[in-house]
Amino acid sequence: MSGERILVVDDERQILRALDTTLRGAGYEVDTAETGEAALTQAAIQPPDALVLDLVLPGKSGTEVARELRQWTDLPILVLSAVGDEREKVSALDAGADDYVTKPFGIDELLARLRALLRRAGDRTEPTIEIADIRIELDKRAVYRDGALVSLTPHEFDLLRLFAVNEGRLLTHRTILREVWGRAYETESHYVHVYVSQLRRKIEPDPARPRILVTEPGAGYRLVDPDRR
Amino acid sequence: MRRALIAVTTSLAAVATVTGLIFAFRSGVPVLSLGVLYIFAVLPVAIVWGRPYAVMTAIASMLAFNFFFLPPRHTLQLQDSANWFALAVYLVTAVVVSDLAARSRRRAAEAEQREREEALLAELSIALLHGQDVALELDRAAPEIASTLGAERVRVELDPEQRAGEGATFPLTTGPRRVGTLYTEGSLDSDAAIRRFLPALASLLAVAVDREQFQRDALQAEHLRLSDATKTAILRAVSHDLRSPLTAIRVAAESLLSPAVHLDEEARRQQLETVRTESRRLDRLVENLLDLSRLQAGAATPRRELVSVDELVGQALAEVPHDEDQIDVVLPADVPLVEVDAVQLERTLVNLLDNALRFTAPGRRVAIEVATSGGDVVISVSDGGPGIAEQELDRVFEPFTHVGADDGRRGAGLGLAIARGFAESNGGRIWVDPAAGGGARFSVALPRSAVSLGVET
Repeated sequence: MSGERILVVDDERQILRALDTTLRGAGYEVDTAETGEAALTQAAIQPPDALVLDLVLPGKSGTEVARELRQWTDLPILVLSAVGDEREKVSALDAGADDYVTKPFGIDELLARLRALLRRAGDRTEPTIEIADIRIELDKRAVYRDGALVSLTPHEFDLLRLFAVNEGRLLTHRTILREVWGRAYETESHYVHVYVSQLRRKIEPDPARPRILVTEPGAGYRLVDPDRR
Repeated sequence: MRRALIAVTTSLAAVATVTGLIFAFRSGVPVLSLGVLYIFAVLPVAIVWGRPYAVMTAIASMLAFNFFFLPPRHTLQLQDSANWFALAVYLVTAVVVSDLAARSRRRAAEAEQREREEALLAELSIALLHGQDVALELDRAAPEIASTLGAERVRVELDPEQRAGEGATFPLTTGPRRVGTLYTEGSLDSDAAIRRFLPALASLLAVAVDREQFQRDALQAEHLRLSDATKTAILRAVSHDLRSPLTAIRVAAESLLSPAVHLDEEARRQQLETVRTESRRLDRLVENLLDLSRLQAGAATPRRELVSVDELVGQALAEVPHDEDQIDVVLPADVPLVEVDAVQLERTLVNLLDNALRFTAPGRRVAIEVATSGGDVVISVSDGGPGIAEQELDRVFEPFTHVGADDGRRGAGLGLAIARGFAESNGGRIWVDPAAGGGARFSVALPRSAVSLGVET
């Protein structure tokens, strides 16, 4: 098993215990913390491979923990949020968290998100990525659908490549804008909406019911492989 | 009647006095020129008693002068026609002077009346515009209004409907708007006062009523805003407090089913244990929410019966999951009885114990203690927690309030509100004070039943 180390932070002991047992059963090493302060200390002493972070914590909030961690580490952070915490969730993502699941989450969803986060963006070095009936040849900047060449503008290709190498990971509007258009465009989220819509028309079988480029309301977009869900 | 009698008597006395004086002076002075002295009888009567008496006095003077002094004496006949003229002058003088006097008297009275009305209106405007309740201030001012208007009793109603009643009613209107009604008993001194006073009172009332309405509206808006804030707090609390146990249950249950998760025997047992304890926690939370909504809807009518306090404490302890060395129980030597709804009182005690266990530091103990004090049975639950700051003692029983519990031990904020609700609906009192060891001590006092079990001690 992978043996990667996950630090779980939640003030609810029952959730902490259930997650501890479950993640160990899934082959991870698990550390736990009940407060944001304890989490920061533990992450500094023994840096984990990923952090599972509850948003609502006594004392330092999840968002503050994410912000402080980002000052010195880019370890993946998965946020546990709840319905009603949308604003807090978005500010945690803005503060540097990578993804989220909504309580009460299923463990398949949690494990899938963790896997996507632990598979670092840079890890995908193969020149060709295949998702459903889409084949992306990164080195040639060419995209095929059912074997037929799809014509993409340079920005559309950059966007698709960003999604593909981060398969399964949530990409916030801000991240997408920064990676594809550059820092100066970080707040122009309408660019993302327009380009994602265009891209969907070219790669989705039914652009009105997207299955590959899915929207995460209020947060961003995620590329998923519908065959592997 | 009395007034008239006094007036007649004084008038006649005045005439008699002047007649006596003329009789005394008549040797030195021509008698006809002494007739003018009767003016001194007519004038005071005119000033004090008014025209009818003045005329009467003038006629009486004339007759007396004629009878006693004018020839032929001791008859009412006159020889000289010049004497007729003198008598006519007395009469005219009497009438004119009495009219003048009456008018000035009326003016003075009117001025005084106006002054009283103005003073009353000023007083009323202060009372009505600064008082809390317009209707109440009107009741308070009613005797003053009555005495100013010269009525025996008045009542001012803000009710725009005119109700039939004894005595006279006067509508209070400003413009087309009817503000209220003035009801009077007994006759009124002057219609002019009514005509002057009522419009002023009406417009004052209109302002006061409007002001009261604005105040009520503002209060209501504030109330709505607060209840909105409460609803938001409830939604947040419920969403968080229901979701936490649900999350633990779902994670534990799915880990048992998932092919991606491999659990050994101990881990499986642990996950099942989580499912069980968290389901019970959810159940308690739902029960508490129902209890609270029943209490707030006033639908929690207690079904009282005689129960022993031992029984109540025992039932509550059985309901609260705990290890025996976590809770000390101290019962009195005798067995006090109380007349309460056993199920509701058990909810009170369960919530107090739950709360105490949650806040008690590891290694320290919770104590539940029963004592009798006067006519009461007092059940106290002391915890080994951090205690409650003095300024927050009042707030702990409010629903959805978390006092000083920002360290992961907070519950839904329902338990203490429910404990208080059921204690009070059963005729009990509940309060909190510092416990001996630094924690908090919650106490419930219930009236001890007069019935005793007759156990020898």
